[in-house]
Amino acid sequence: MPGKTIVVTSGKGGVGKTTSAANIGTALAMHGNKVCLIDADIGLRNLDVVMGLENRIVYDIVDVVENNCRLEQAMIRDKRYDGLYLLPAAQTRDKTSVTPFQMKELVDELKNEMDFVIIDSPAGIEQGFKNAISGADSAVIVTTPEISAVRDADRIIGLLEAEGLRDPEVIINRIRKDMVDRGDMMGIEDMIEILAIDLLGIVPEDEGIVVSTNKGEPIALNDKSKAGEAYRNIALRIMGEDLPMMKLESESFFSKFKKLVGLS
Amino acid sequence: MSSVFSFQAVSDGIVMNFRDGSTFGSIKKAVTLHASEASGFFTGVNLYLNLSGLELAYEQLEELMKIVRNYKKVNKIYFTARKIKEEKKVNINKSKAVIINRTLRSGQQIKNQNSVVIVGDVNPGAEVIAGGDIIVFGRLRGVVHAGAGGNQSSQVAALKLDPTQLRIASSIARSPDDSNDSSEMLPERAFMNEESIMVEKI
Repeated sequence: MPGKTIVVTSGKGGVGKTTSAANIGTALAMHGNKVCLIDADIGLRNLDVVMGLENRIVYDIVDVVENNCRLEQAMIRDKRYDGLYLLPAAQTRDKTSVTPFQMKELVDELKNEMDFVIIDSPAGIEQGFKNAISGADSAVIVTTPEISAVRDADRIIGLLEAEGLRDPEVIINRIRKDMVDRGDMMGIEDMIEILAIDLLGIVPEDEGIVVSTNKGEPIALNDKSKAGEAYRNIALRIMGEDLPMMKLESESFFSKFKKLVGLS
Repeated sequence: MSSVFSFQAVSDGIVMNFRDGSTFGSIKKAVTLHASEASGFFTGVNLYLNLSGLELAYEQLEELMKIVRNYKKVNKIYFTARKIKEEKKVNINKSKAVIINRTLRSGQQIKNQNSVVIVGDVNPGAEVIAGGDIIVFGRLRGVVHAGAGGNQSSQVAALKLDPTQLRIASSIARSPDDSNDSSEMLPERAFMNEESIMVEKI
């Protein structure tokens, strides 16, 4: 049975597409799945850096479509999980180097080998986005509790529907319970009401993301991180498990106090 | 005679190019001689007289017209002023290296079949591919491929050698995953030692 292909997209930039793709892929591989991550952001590749695999790149996706190498040669095996692969984007080329048709062929070939193919989409709605969605049979939309991100997510849902990708699911990223409680940030219910799609997960704001990104180690590997737990839960939901949504904790007075005096 | 003009074949005839700096007297003499001796060469073709770079007085032009009328067998005679294609010099000045006077940033790529010298940094995400050596007067943090045509004696040198990936001929090396990133400049060079890539201080 061919694997599932999922595009991670958002419209707006900087909401956490690449971070989400890296962590979902890692968490899926953690459960023994064969996963291939595809970086569709040609010219502005990042997924390799977030995965800590940049120095292993010899061939990339453009080399594959231009027949400079075989697909297996371009796929980089992750340094932590044997079942996890990355197909990196080219950095010295642009989005027009690959057509949606070529992308679809590539993804179709990959999904026969893999349990999951996760495609990291670039920001925007132009050619790069069209390439990224062309091979996918389902979509995950990443958004943050900001009106601009939600607006863009809504636009993307419309575009996905037009392309025949129905019922996308949403990840709400960088949510802060304390701000929601104060009424300074949109709540989850408000956002779901606007977008009217299923919620795949909520990821709390976490400083650890910056650290893990810079180190090239997805936060899903970190047992202590709340965001890492959120991504592991998302992976389980993608695998078909019915998990309740994470309870968001606002920072307790005690933890705030510890931070204040520099204990944690 | 040949020092005054030269011939060049075009699709429908012959161009007569007058050499730069020829005096009208020498032109007159040479063309008169050529027309009387070799007019039969140009049977049925068009003759283009290329005056490019030549200044003729009215009388001189009239005189020249009279002379070229002696090319009786040509089809038509034109006066033109086209540019003379410079003949390719056989001894092309072979420069052994290109010099790049700037920092290469992510996504920028330099490809050259000779050696490449970069006066500046090579940032992560930038790529240098050279048939010969690669020398970086700055920090090398991107991907470099020296001896890309298979030359195993190529080397890579930098004031700070910290590449994402370093390739020489068909060998690949990468920095260790836990490399400590000191900002100290320490000139190093990388070269092939039998089957593996070695790095040493310069």
